[in-house]
Parts: sequence; structure tokens; C-alpha cells
Amino acid sequence: METLSVYVPKLVTNKEYIASGHRACSGCGEVLALRYVCKALGRNTIISNATGCMEIISSPLPETAWEVSWIHTLFENAAAVASGIESGLKALKRKHGYIKDVKVVAMGGDGATADIGLQALSGALERGHDFIYVCFDNEAYMNTGIQRSSETPFGASTTTAPSGKVSMGQHTWKKNMAAIAAAHNIPYVATSCSSYPFDIMYKIEKARKVKGPSYIHILSVCPTGWRCPSSDTIKMGRLAVETGVFPLYEIENGEYKMNFDYPKLRPVEDYLTAQGRFRHLTKEQIAEIQQKVIVEYEKIKMLSSRKKGK
Amino acid sequence: MKNDIIEIRWHGRGGQGAVTSAELTALAAIHEGKYAQAFPSFGPERRGAPVLAFNRIRTDRAVRERSGIIKPDIVVVIDPGLVSLINVTDGLKPGGTLIVNSARSVEDLQQDFSGDWKLAVVDAASIAKKLLGVNIVNTTMLGALIKATEVIDCDSLREPLEERFGARAKSNFEACKQAAENTVISEITPSGDKRPRSFAVEKLPKWNELPVGCVVTDVGNTKAFCTGNWKSQHPEWLDSKCIKCGICSIFCPEGCIKQQKDGFFRADLFYCKGCGICARECWTQAIKMVEEA
Ligand SMILES: Cc1ncc(C[n+]2csc(CCOP(=O)(O)OP(=O)(O)O)c2C)c(N)n1
Ligand code: SF4
Ligand code: SF4
Ligand code: SF4
Repeated sequence: METLSVYVPKLVTNKEYIASGHRACSGCGEVLALRYVCKALGRNTIISNATGCMEIISSPLPETAWEVSWIHTLFENAAAVASGIESGLKALKRKHGYIKDVKVVAMGGDGATADIGLQALSGALERGHDFIYVCFDNEAYMNTGIQRSSETPFGASTTTAPSGKVSMGQHTWKKNMAAIAAAHNIPYVATSCSSYPFDIMYKIEKARKVKGPSYIHILSVCPTGWRCPSSDTIKMGRLAVETGVFPLYEIENGEYKMNFDYPKLRPVEDYLTAQGRFRHLTKEQIAEIQQKVIVEYEKIKMLSSRKKGK
Repeated sequence: MKNDIIEIRWHGRGGQGAVTSAELTALAAIHEGKYAQAFPSFGPERRGAPVLAFNRIRTDRAVRERSGIIKPDIVVVIDPGLVSLINVTDGLKPGGTLIVNSARSVEDLQQDFSGDWKLAVVDAASIAKKLLGVNIVNTTMLGALIKATEVIDCDSLREPLEERFGARAKSNFEACKQAAENTVISEITPSGDKRPRSFAVEKLPKWNELPVGCVVTDVGNTKAFCTGNWKSQHPEWLDSKCIKCGICSIFCPEGCIKQQKDGFFRADLFYCKGCGICARECWTQAIKMVEEA
């Protein structure tokens, strides 16, 4: 998709649903991903947004950057609020017959999704609400100053898991949210990345058409928390994908499909050494990460080659 | 200045380390047996946006004040561009000191301010670039603060710098010392013909003017907010190299690059935060980032 043509950007709608004047950091990859998500969703959408960077930078009361219906929720209940809205719409339909085709979307950061909001999300997926959940994963609690989450990768230095004399930073491996979502037997799960606009828009459009819950996990480059130059935002996301650190795939009704398969992955070192949060890693630690990345990548590939009924 | 309490306001941009400057100042003062406080001002603004940090230093007793600082004795401006954007001398006490990082001449800067203040100027950017290899001047500016006000002693910074920067403490300390040597001190007068300056003042509604439930019906009204003054560089287009692909416009986090009637692209500098993504991603290198004057 990304290599289709140089002229593909022309096909993307000019309409923006996140107005300029928002307060995201210079070079923020998360707001970039949000722009693409909203372009693909369009006007007939109701968004329930957990607190976090995207909520804070878009809604400094009495201002708002949103040009779609949007409600700010707490940190932990975006999926629960979305469930309520979706049920309310169903009730309206029962009472009044026809209502517009409105899609309900819940969104939050990795902290809101994989940590504090996980049970609300699990409940909403299990109950089968017709909604999309989008996780903007910048791999830490960035809004409050780079605290570790369960999505922070092994070896990254954060303010609550700092690297130093006694610690190498995060010592646990990144939680696999796509697999957790898929374990709810929902129709559509996908991963994407802020450096791949057409991939994001393709997957969101697809999720919009699904009846029932879908879950999209978007790796969103955060130059502030990853400690890299703001001009490198796009490059960093590409490196995450090309090194296999963050593979892009879909899980449709349980069936895996790798979207970008690289016969030869770039070494993870290219990705790790470009970011300040990994600066302290030793050769051995990098080798350990390399090994894990290959194992996980092969797993997804293996699952992708296995077709239903075989 | 015979004061029981000295209050300092730091002006920087998110990511430039104004908060670190304030913290180091407080630690140095505490090292000298004084009492000190350092705190930032919080807002939704991020990297690149103008931000504030503050210090309170007392010699007689612990600092028990917990309010904001409205009338500082000292103002330190870390980012040279802020002088023309923000009223940096707002509330500065008569007899107070204004310390500015700028490559401009003292005479030129004097034209910008009208008040009974001391002015200290240092070109911290060139010192930092030379000694630290980067244009990050928060530690360098501590030298100017020391020279202009003697609120802390240069040697008291040694330990806090080592704590914070480890192996890089030495070069930071050097930068600090060199800034102290190169700081030019002069006076500003309240009278005389001064360059007129005007600043946008944000007008917020009162709490009882907000609609119930904090509903905002004026969708996308952040458009009235200028984020363009966050930037320290801006993109310039070389149209002869442009193939009109639109990639730059797709990758702009501000959504502020638009196609013009002639088919070429331009950024709306009212919003552009100067991230440099467009220049980086343009296939044909038709975009160049240029430092703000
Ligand atoms: C229950 C609760 N705990 C803590 C907070 C403070 N808080 C607001 S946003 C945030 C971090 C958000 O992190 P994440 O969800 O990863 O999103 P990001 O900011 O990284 O986009 C925290 C801790 C809160 N609002 N509510
Ligand atoms: S902290 Fe990171 S995610 Fe949050 S606004 Fe800044 S760049 Fe974006
Ligand atoms: S990315 Fe470069 S070539 Fe493409 S439209 Fe922008 S300036 Fe022109
Ligand atoms: S530098 Fe380019 S990409 Fe960045 S905000 Fe400005 S116009 Fe947009």
C-alpha cells in the first residue's frame, strides 16, 4: 500500500477533522495518526476519548480541535462510555426506526488501553458492541511525563523505569494487545503505525464496515518520550516496521495476515540506537532484543500462513 | 538589592530545559545553606511552546510561599525569539534584572524595553554550540545569571551539575563559566524613544460563562490559536524541485501544508511548529528548513 505510487496522497481527502492550533508537541506522531484515523472515519462518527496526550492537546476548554462529535471520558472508561453510546443509538433506532449510519469509536493511549482501561475494553469487546477501539500506542504514559506502561518495550528508559547503575530501564516485554483483543473472538483486529498513513486509513475504513467490535493498535511515534529529533518521527515508525520490532498485520475472524512481509529484516540496532530511550543498552541486551524480535516476527508469519480449516 | 526573598522567572520553550535551569539554581542555593524552591508552570502546551519556570530563594528562613510569582526580581530569557513574542518584563520589579540570551547587540536590545532595570546580555547559543555541541543553553544561561545577580555562586553549581549530567557535567560547567565572562551588563531606562511592541493577550471566559457540561459547540476553534510561534525553524520550498506529490502535506502533524492554485505546496506559518518532518520526507529535497531570525 505504502509503495503503491508517489501520487497516492492526491487520493486522500483534504478534509481535516482535527483542526490546526492543537497543542501537540512539534513533530508528534500520535496526532498524525489521529489525523489519518479521523480522515478515514469521516463526519458520522462519535468519539469517546480517554484522557491522555490526544485528549489534552485537542481540548483546552473553551477551545476544541475536534470537528466530529467527541466526548472526553476518564482515564479508564473510554470503552464503557462507547458501549453506552452505542446502546443508546440502538435504543433510538428501535424507537424511531431509521437513524443515520453513525459509527461509535473509543480511543486512548497505551496506558488507557493496556493498563487502566483494559477491563472496560474487554467487557465491551466481549459484549459485542458495534464499535471500533483505537489504541494510540506511544509506549508510555506520555501526557504525564513518560511513565512506563505495559506497552513500554524491553530496555526503554522511562521516568518510572529509568536506566542507571542498578537498572537497565524497562525489564518486561511489551504486552501483546492485538492477541488479547483477538482472544475475544471479535471480527477484526489490526496493527498499524503512524508512519503508514494509507495503511491506517485502509484499516480504519475496513473496521468501519465491520458489524461488531474491532480493535486497531497503532504504534505512534512520540519524539518527546522516545528522545529523538522531531524531524525523525516518520523515519522512526518505518524503522520499527522494517526491523520487525512492530509488524503490521490483520486478524480477520481469527485469521492472521501479515501486511508487510520483509524477507530480510533490518537489524534492530538501527531502530534502537536512533532513540535516546535506548541509548544505554549494551551489545548483549541488543542481541537479546534481536532474538526476541525474530521469534515474535516468525510467530506472526507462521500464523499468517495457516489458513482456516487446515 | 536588599531582599529577604528573591524571585526568578525563566522563559524558555518546552524541551529547552528551563525547568532544569530553575532546579539547578535551587540546588546550588541550597548547597550554599540558603532555602530555595523551583517549580514550572503547567499548561497543555508541549515541546516548542513558550513555557515558564520559577525560583524562590530566601536566606532568612524556609520558603513557605506556595503561590505563583507575579512580580519577579529577575527574569531570564533562554530563547532569543521570545523577546518579540511575549512580554517578558511583565511584572518585573523596578530595579530588577533582565537577562537575555541573544546574538543581538546590547544597544539594539535596549530599544526593546522600557523600565528601570538592569539588562544582561549573552550570546549563549554560540557558547553552547562551541562547548556542548548543541544549541541547548539552559545550563549556559546559569553563568549569565551568576554574573548579573550573584544570587548563587558558580562553584555551588558543580555538585548539582555532576548529579544531573554525570560525565557531561564538566563541559556544562565550562559553558556556564564562559557565559559569565561574556555577559555584558548595562542599564535600561524607562524613558526615551523605544520600539513599539505589542503582544496578543489570551482572553478566557469566566467559569460562569461556560455552558453546563463544558460543551463546546464552536467546533475546531483551536484554529484561532497561533502555534506558529513555537518554532525555531521554518520550511522553505524550492518549487523547481517539487513534483507536486503531496507527501509533505500528508506527513505534517499540524495539517498546515496546503496545495496552492499553482499546484505547489506551502505551509501556513501561523500553525507550523517547525518540526522539520516535511523537509525530511520530501522525496526530491524541495524543502529546506531555515532558522528563524
Ligand atoms: C485514574 C486516573 N489516574 C491518573 C490520571 C492522570 N493521567 C492523565 S493522562 C495519563 C497518562 C496517559 O497515558 P496514555 O494512556 O499512555 O496516553 P498518552 O498520554 O501516552 O497518549 C495519566 C496518568 C487520570 N487522569 N486518571
Ligand atoms: S508527548 Fe509525545 S504523544 Fe504526547 S503530544 Fe508530545 S509527542 Fe505527542
Ligand atoms: S513532498 Fe516535496 S516534491 Fe512532494 S509536494 Fe511536497 S515539496 Fe513537492
Ligand atoms: S515543519 Fe513542515 S511538517 Fe513540521 S509543522 Fe511545519 S510545515 Fe508541518
